[in-house]
Amino acid sequence: MSTPTQTASQAPSGLARLRELWNDYLPYWFMTPMVLVMLLITIFPGAYDLYLSLVKYQLTDPNTVGQFNGLANYERVFTSGGAINSFVITITFVAGALALETGIGFVLAALVTGVKSDRMQTFYRIIFIIPMAVAPVSLATIGRIMLNTEIGIIPYMIQQFTPFVAPNFLSDVPLLTVILVDTWNWTPFMFIIFYAGMSSVPKTLLEASRVDGAPLWRRYVHVIIPYMKPVLFVAILIRLIDLFRTFGLVFSLTSGGPGTATELVSINIFQTGFTFVDLGGAAAIAIVYLVGIIALCNILIIKVGFEGVWD
Amino acid sequence: MATVDDPRQPDSRLSKTNRERLVAVGRHAALLVWSFVVLFPFYWIVSMSLKPPRDAISLPPDWIFLPTVYNYIQLLQQSSFVNAFFNSVFMVSASVILVLLIGVPAAYVLSRYDIPKQRDVLVWILSSRMLPPVAVIIPFFVIFRALNLYDTRIGMIFMYITINISLVVWVMKAFFDGIPETLEEAARVDGATQFQAFRKVILPAAKPGIFSVAIISFIFAWIELLFSLVLTNNNAVTVTMQVYQFIGVRQIEWGMLAAATTATIIPVVLFVIAVNRYLAAGLSFGVVIKE
Repeated sequence: MSTPTQTASQAPSGLARLRELWNDYLPYWFMTPMVLVMLLITIFPGAYDLYLSLVKYQLTDPNTVGQFNGLANYERVFTSGGAINSFVITITFVAGALALETGIGFVLAALVTGVKSDRMQTFYRIIFIIPMAVAPVSLATIGRIMLNTEIGIIPYMIQQFTPFVAPNFLSDVPLLTVILVDTWNWTPFMFIIFYAGMSSVPKTLLEASRVDGAPLWRRYVHVIIPYMKPVLFVAILIRLIDLFRTFGLVFSLTSGGPGTATELVSINIFQTGFTFVDLGGAAAIAIVYLVGIIALCNILIIKVGFEGVWD
Repeated sequence: MATVDDPRQPDSRLSKTNRERLVAVGRHAALLVWSFVVLFPFYWIVSMSLKPPRDAISLPPDWIFLPTVYNYIQLLQQSSFVNAFFNSVFMVSASVILVLLIGVPAAYVLSRYDIPKQRDVLVWILSSRMLPPVAVIIPFFVIFRALNLYDTRIGMIFMYITINISLVVWVMKAFFDGIPETLEEAARVDGATQFQAFRKVILPAAKPGIFSVAIISFIFAWIELLFSLVLTNNNAVTVTMQVYQFIGVRQIEWGMLAAATTATIIPVVLFVIAVNRYLAAGLSFGVVIKE
């Protein structure tokens, strides 16, 4: 930041004027760097993606780079099948992981909140949040080692201790495996937020419903869940947004394969752009994806969020 | 803590306590099962990293073995890995400091002043988190090459700022909202300038919030893979990128791979255990703040 500081104690008149400027326009100084960064990271990539999506930008063919291409890039997105396929896979992945993480996270939060001893609560809470600290690429490494058909401990234990035949996780049920690994990684996020929300449900409310003799499930449906609505909404919204961003875990666990079984849109864009060096085509997919995600988030935030949570 | 779900059916006294005991046992059994699910992969990867290469992948596994640091010594001799590790530490720390310098003052203004279209500004800020990084990376790839920022630490630090800025602004706005305005008014009456009131009164009061966003920002930048995959090559390579290359390119030496993975997760895991109290506030964008 190139803003004047106010350390000089006996400031000459020039410095004093600067100091005045600094104090009188403080809100502007405070906002400017953030606004500049935001312009750079939202408007610029969006506009540049839009531009790229309308031109030829194939690095294998440098002579045509920058030639106006009309909607040809978009046409390819909607006719090639690869992109459409990756949209379907992404939605399956997001829906599956979000459902599992929300469900397990909620149950864990309810179970831990019910633990009588504070010390044990802290113990479980610490253990349960640990997976979140593992980088996707490290988790992918662990997954590859533990799920490997030849050296993996998990298939080995399934064969030894259960009557089932272990599938080859990464090639027979790749999408399910990816969902389960993501669930291991990110259930902690849901758990910790739900836990904080549940701990803040006023005891008097719970006592009242208990005195009324409300059974367990009714206490959740009529007291706890309504009280936690803002918390549930924010947690699910943030997780939803982040699931649509998923890249590192799936890329390093399966690279989108086998075939295109786990090729999320983010991987499809990456491969179009950086493996096939077709930046124009990749930008067209990115634009379609962006429009979809932003529309979805705006509906959720404006229709649900501001009416139930923030206002 | 509130006991949320112990069913108290009208029943005889003895069977009620029995029932409660049964519920407690069931509860702990379920929680221990999940603890096992969480902890076993850590146990497995750490124990594998401590086995001699020959035994690392033998099945049935040696549950009892003499630990060796052989794999770690091998790893430390890989200067590319060690460099990448410290590179990550430096770039991620620098980005966290910068993102706080940019985001915290802005959040303060958003909390205290009436900005036209306040709600739209906030959604705009949040929207930077909705942009999938892979869509953002293509323009930055082109522009980084043009500006000679490709494979530089400055470029990577900037990219890390883009990941975390919305988080910092949203969480800190919620924190500033919770600090009574009378605090700074009192300071102003005592003759402090607006900036002095911010620095000496408001910032200290917001410390827990700043601490929690700093932690979360650190983690989000530390685990990032895509940016270093596309924007680095040699000088600015990150530790996640190194682990990725371990899986991909080289002939797999399982013990060393386990050691590398352990080296990347243990520091962050210890960090998270140490600061777990602050995580909820930071993660939930301030909606859940106080317990």
